[in-house]
Amino acid sequence: MKSLYKLSTLLFLFVSVTSCSDDDSSRDELTGSGMVKIEFDNSVAGDDLILGSSYTNSQAETLTINRLNYIVSNFRLTDTQGNVFTYPKEAGYFITSEETGNTEVVLMDVPAGRYTSMTFGIGVDQEKYLLGAEGQGDLLTEAESTEMMWSWQAGYKFLNFEGTFTSSTVPENTNFQIHMGSHGSSLDNYKETTLSLGTEALVSDKMTPIIHLVVNAGNILDGDNKISLTEQAVIMVSEEKSPKIAENTANMFSVDHVHNGDGSSH
Amino acid sequence: MKTKYLFWAIPLLMLGACNNDNGEYIDIKDNEPLSVTMPSNFPPMVYNVEENPPTKYGFELGKKLFYDGKLSANGFISCGFCHEQRFSFTHHAHQFSHGIDDKEGTRNTPSIANMAFFSEFAWDGATSHLDLFPIIPITNEVEMGETMTSVLEKLRADSQYQKEFEAAFEEGGVNHENFLKAIAQFMVMMVSYNSKYDKYVRKEDGVALTEQELQGMHVFQEKCASCHTTDLFSDGSFRNNGLPPNPSINDIGRAEVSGSGNDNYKFKVPSLRNVSLTAPYMHDGRFGSLESVLNFYQSGVEDSPTLDPLLKTEEGLGISLDDTEKLALIAFLGTLTDDEFINDERFSEY
Repeated sequence: MKSLYKLSTLLFLFVSVTSCSDDDSSRDELTGSGMVKIEFDNSVAGDDLILGSSYTNSQAETLTINRLNYIVSNFRLTDTQGNVFTYPKEAGYFITSEETGNTEVVLMDVPAGRYTSMTFGIGVDQEKYLLGAEGQGDLLTEAESTEMMWSWQAGYKFLNFEGTFTSSTVPENTNFQIHMGSHGSSLDNYKETTLSLGTEALVSDKMTPIIHLVVNAGNILDGDNKISLTEQAVIMVSEEKSPKIAENTANMFSVDHVHNGDGSSH
Repeated sequence: MKTKYLFWAIPLLMLGACNNDNGEYIDIKDNEPLSVTMPSNFPPMVYNVEENPPTKYGFELGKKLFYDGKLSANGFISCGFCHEQRFSFTHHAHQFSHGIDDKEGTRNTPSIANMAFFSEFAWDGATSHLDLFPIIPITNEVEMGETMTSVLEKLRADSQYQKEFEAAFEEGGVNHENFLKAIAQFMVMMVSYNSKYDKYVRKEDGVALTEQELQGMHVFQEKCASCHTTDLFSDGSFRNNGLPPNPSINDIGRAEVSGSGNDNYKFKVPSLRNVSLTAPYMHDGRFGSLESVLNFYQSGVEDSPTLDPLLKTEEGLGISLDDTEKLALIAFLGTLTDDEFINDERFSEY
């Protein structure tokens, strides 16, 4: 009996403490469900990525990027309580493309909540691929129209990064092509990344946050793993380099800021 | 009771008649599931038929697509152009597959019998799902030279195809998913399981093997069956059988897919079903006869870092075979010919 009394006092105290700190208007109860918009703002070395313009990386290679397309997938959002919302797999694959300007992912029907971190995949996992025709749905159609179908192996390019480059030993503009995906059943290059949002992203039937990611395309070749175009300018299936590129690519995303609001403007 | 049925039948007939204004209407209610053959002497089927259950109209659509040149850039090269039924769906007498504009590939057309029992497809295992396989030849520039999107546009422009897609699938119409499902249904139904050998092992119709065939079977079990396993006659693995690479092609096989030097010159172990009909042999079709194949295993195997260990023993490289054993093996391999399969009208073009 005594312990029950103690417990209820504690509970009372806890409720009053939380309600005291809850005077901010954004702390109003979030109800229903809403959208989450995720902007993939492609950049290179801190500047906006402009296709066709040049930049020099730490390996003294000067790249002119003409294409940056990648697939992002399997979004999961974690709220302040540690609850994880997993976006439905059948709708969970998005092809982003700098050249078409299609760089925003919109997640629909996300339960109301205060989300603090986000996990997503780069590419297409084996589980999805092995669902066959039924499981691919329209993704194949979309992939073919965006240069992301890896047709010779009936699969997907997870990343299509192309352009030209020069270096001290390659003075003439030379094409580079980085196509990264899984290697049949022998090498799975699907990777996931988890980003802390910094600010709580508030979702409700009235609130649609915009999560603004900065994507450093320079990281693809010049991240933790150094990939020299001078050494090899066309990399599509390499047991050694493709997984390194996959890792660099998974690490190219960071959260710049989160806009809370009705989702209409940045 | 009878009158009650009749009462309902009349409005139903009227409804049907309303839709039936151009004579080619296919009533989806007529669509019926097909049963897929799972022979008792085979390992379990890999293909998940529950995800794409073959139906009458799905199968018929798949067959029509299989034999339609529209799937290629010039309108003439169908799947069936290289996969001919009477040669167990291979390209007989062609070392390499011929594609559009007489372009030539670098590999010999493999059979499509019993594909539902395998988990990797093409000589190098470029895809691990049967549904997705057709993308490879359709988009290969020396085979059919098309894009999937363009093929689907051509099919959408054809009102008959539109109706057939609608009849075969509950939703979606002419799209990638249904296109691939239909062709897969056609392939999944292609089960070759009624050779003399099958009937012998299943003890059907009192079929017996001759003395020479039996001798060949024993040689086979002793010297070949570690790679050509089960009654599919393949373990589906990728191996380097010691075939000296053709220097003008230097096809590295599985390594093309994996990017791994450990896979250099490895190719999928082919099934030997109907093998007497599927000359020429090997991934590059270099051997015109089974005699040449066996002579190669006897004395032509070349050592290399990725040579399959089973072909490199204390006795030397390859497989020791004397002439009697070779003749017996060839006789045994002849018992794997399935005449019912190669004459099955369900699969035939005309």
